[in-house]
Amino acid sequence: MKLNTRINGRDLCLEIKPNATLLETLRQAGFKSVKYGCGEGMCGACAVLIDGKPRTSCITLAGTVEGTEIITVEGMGNPDKPHALQQAFVDAGATQCGYCNPGSLIAAKALLDSNPNPTAEDVKDALDGNLCRCSGYVKRVEAVLSAAGSVTKQKKSTRGKK
Amino acid sequence: MLKKLTRFYHPKTIEEACQFLGNGEGKTAVIAGGTSAALRADSSLEALVDISHISELDYINKDAAFYHIGACTRVQDIYKSPDLKGPAGKLLQTAAGKIGSTLLRNAITAGGNLAGLFPWSDLPVAYMALDAEVVCRRGRPKRTVPVMSLIETRAPQFLAANEIIAEIIVPAYGPGTGTAFAKLAKTANDYAMISLAVRLTLKEGAVNQARIAVNAITAQPVRCLEAEKLLEGKVLTEELIAEAADKATDSINIRKDIRASEEYRREVFAVMVRRALTEAFENANRKGGQQ
Ligand SMILES: Cc1cc2nc3c(=O)[nH]c(=O)nc-3n(C[C@H](O)[C@H](O)[C@H](O)COP(=O)(O)OP(=O)(O)OC[C@H]3O[C@@H](n4cnc5c(N)ncnc54)[C@H](O)[C@@H]3O)c2cc1C
Repeated sequence: MKLNTRINGRDLCLEIKPNATLLETLRQAGFKSVKYGCGEGMCGACAVLIDGKPRTSCITLAGTVEGTEIITVEGMGNPDKPHALQQAFVDAGATQCGYCNPGSLIAAKALLDSNPNPTAEDVKDALDGNLCRCSGYVKRVEAVLSAAGSVTKQKKSTRGKK
Repeated sequence: MLKKLTRFYHPKTIEEACQFLGNGEGKTAVIAGGTSAALRADSSLEALVDISHISELDYINKDAAFYHIGACTRVQDIYKSPDLKGPAGKLLQTAAGKIGSTLLRNAITAGGNLAGLFPWSDLPVAYMALDAEVVCRRGRPKRTVPVMSLIETRAPQFLAANEIIAEIIVPAYGPGTGTAFAKLAKTANDYAMISLAVRLTLKEGAVNQARIAVNAITAQPVRCLEAEKLLEGKVLTEELIAEAADKATDSINIRKDIRASEEYRREVFAVMVRRALTEAFENANRKGGQQ
């Protein structure tokens, strides 16, 4: 079966099995940031943006994302040009083993895209589906809040340059 | 999982979706949020009709007296909707917000949570407490049925092969009505051990309508009819609320699972009903109505 989607800004046509999950499809296509955690939609390690909304790719059938736009962490930034959130996670130490980071970053990006000035409560609410079993939950809230500050600042300064 | 699946259909309209379902080409089912483990484990299905991208199924509208919620509205949109207010709107929002997590709520739909009924499903009790109705469509033809008939018969038996849930209609209620939702779970996003929705509609100081709907502690969503009857027509007091809570507890068949014993659930349930009725009563008495 063919699957047509736009992944990280590139139109792709992938050959998939009809019962394939989006998680296995993405990993097979080389998007290895997307992690297999519980496989049941409980832990959030596999989160990706589907048309801007963060969802668990492990229980999403690939056939249901036909014609949608998908963003994984590869589409957010890379070591040379990290996204403000990625940099903030590093600076705040919101990472330890790192396995939950891609999913948490995706959920955090969705939050900032719709709410550039979140409160700590907003951040907790938006990351409620991303379990972390080693670093904990305090630093990532700090990270998202500080990234929100720098995103807003960046936007303001580019606006100033116009 | 889904070993026999060979194809997906991606209809753009309700009528198209019903056509794909009714075309008799092998075993076909609707997929909406796609989160149901039972759906994904089905090894007899040959085709799935994906209704999640049908825009005419995705909306929250309000007219003079009712909210209209499209079947494929994501429960996250219910949770975050600025348009849902008052006793009915707040009950729906609170129940929707207690479902799973953000990542799941972005997938789970208002109709799928009702059609793929599990003991832990949270929205059905809210629909029941609000006396919601469900619009079912077979292409153009439609029927509007009380939510309870769909729950009692279960959607797969209730709906014809080419029929889908298209909309949930919820009376908005106003001042004089109060609602409350409560969920007992081990963690913020675990399945419920008790899911409870309550509505009290007052008239001249007395209870005109009482609704106590529960799930998770039972095998399927039920109403506590005897406790409701006890309250109706009476002026509420603390004693009466406590009596109704005990009656509600005695009337249900309590399920046990790995999460909690029957004894524990019974004990907690009576307290939860008492508190929910008290909260709903306070909300019903609020000046200007429950916000
Ligand atoms: C980890 C996890 C945790 C969860 N926690 C909770 C929770 O706390 N509370 C809660 O309430 N739910 C919870 N759920 C969701 C619940 O278990 C179901 O998966 C969900 O309600 C199904 O909704 P859906 O939109 O994904 O439907 P789908 O999975 O797409 O479909 C479910 C069933 O309904 C049918 N169907 C769907 N839409 C329609 C329609 N419009 N007309 C006719 N038939 C239809 C399908 O054919 C299928 O049989 C959780 C799910 C997961 C995976």
